[in-house]
Amino acid sequence: MSGIHAVDLKSFVTHSFKNVFKTMLSMQLAPEDPPNRPSVTTGQHIVGTVGFGGAVMGNVNIFVSREFAREMTAAMLGMPVEEARSDEEVNDLIGEVCNMVGGDLKSRLCDAGFTCSLSIPSITFGDSFRVESKGWDRHELIGFRSSRHSALLEVYVKTPN
Amino acid sequence: MALKVLTVDDSKTIRMIVKKAFQPYNCVVFEAENGVEGLAAATKEKPGLIILDITMPVMTGIEMLDRLKGDATLKEIPVIMLTAESGKDNVVNIVKKGVKDYMVKPFKGEDLLERVRKFMTLEPKTEEESPEDKAAKYFTQVEDIVVLTLPAKVTRPVTVEVEGVLQTKIKDMTAAQLKKMILDMGGVSETNVSLIKLIITAFQHCLKANVAVKLVASPKQGEELKGFQETSQIAVADSIDAARGSL
Repeated sequence: MSGIHAVDLKSFVTHSFKNVFKTMLSMQLAPEDPPNRPSVTTGQHIVGTVGFGGAVMGNVNIFVSREFAREMTAAMLGMPVEEARSDEEVNDLIGEVCNMVGGDLKSRLCDAGFTCSLSIPSITFGDSFRVESKGWDRHELIGFRSSRHSALLEVYVKTPN
Repeated sequence: MALKVLTVDDSKTIRMIVKKAFQPYNCVVFEAENGVEGLAAATKEKPGLIILDITMPVMTGIEMLDRLKGDATLKEIPVIMLTAESGKDNVVNIVKKGVKDYMVKPFKGEDLLERVRKFMTLEPKTEEESPEDKAAKYFTQVEDIVVLTLPAKVTRPVTVEVEGVLQTKIKDMTAAQLKKMILDMGGVSETNVSLIKLIITAFQHCLKANVAVKLVASPKQGEELKGFQETSQIAVADSIDAARGSL
């Protein structure tokens, strides 16, 4: 095992995130560099988080605006955006996207020798909050752009010792 | 006879995708949110196919699968596992447990159907009951009040059907400027979880559409509803006339 620094986290989660959007939502994402944090953390927005723990610990956070989350829900469920109003459906969708990206990363880490388990996803939404994690060995912040919206994917990883 | 498909997933989104995938076929799709509910549904409905997620609260898909395989009456039911984890150990573990197939999320509904067709035939749906016919089974109108009468037995498929016609009915009501509904459960023989969920859903839909709603139930049913946290605060009228008077 050559350590967690040898794992190409950024390429892996980027591919994974884009693949979820393409397969489940039929949406194409392009990289956005630098990431447009203000556009997804100003106003109503939603953060999905999934954690993993074991030989390696970490979090995957996904940030999108509430409006984008509704569009994603409508795309996933094949309904008009106006009908994707229910918090339950929007939160569930973001949680499921997190679960897929986190599950994919967890699998990659396990295959690389870092055995770990995945948590159930959690959701935070509102218009005035910050999500911060400290003391990690690795941190990646990746920006994406769909046709009208930005999204952020943040990954934190740490080995226990 | 329709194929019974049970989808067990804590994500409503995934359950809806599974449900939608089977919609064009002669299938009845049952839903469960975790392994415990899934086992109960499998025991009761004896489905012909189970689509089972792995990571779920209360009871995981792996644990549910172990219990299915340990039950002589359920062990032959074909299971397709859905997992967000494609790691080698995870896949080997799933395959060893005797599942028919597994799918790694993300997936499309058609990919799932392709896997199913490898070991069973899906019959296209024929002569489906029209939405109007379905609605006519449940709804009547008394002056400016729409009455939703629940059948004697409220099961999960009934709740799915009623929820489907209810949304359309409320849209029609809004267009016709009808703003009052009575939910009549007087003829329901058993107060169960499906009934409670249906009452809550109906109230939520009415609330969203600004439709005033009253629940009609017998005194005995009224007492039973108080035993459920979700319905304990709902005021109950003991007849349609009493409900009409209070709307």
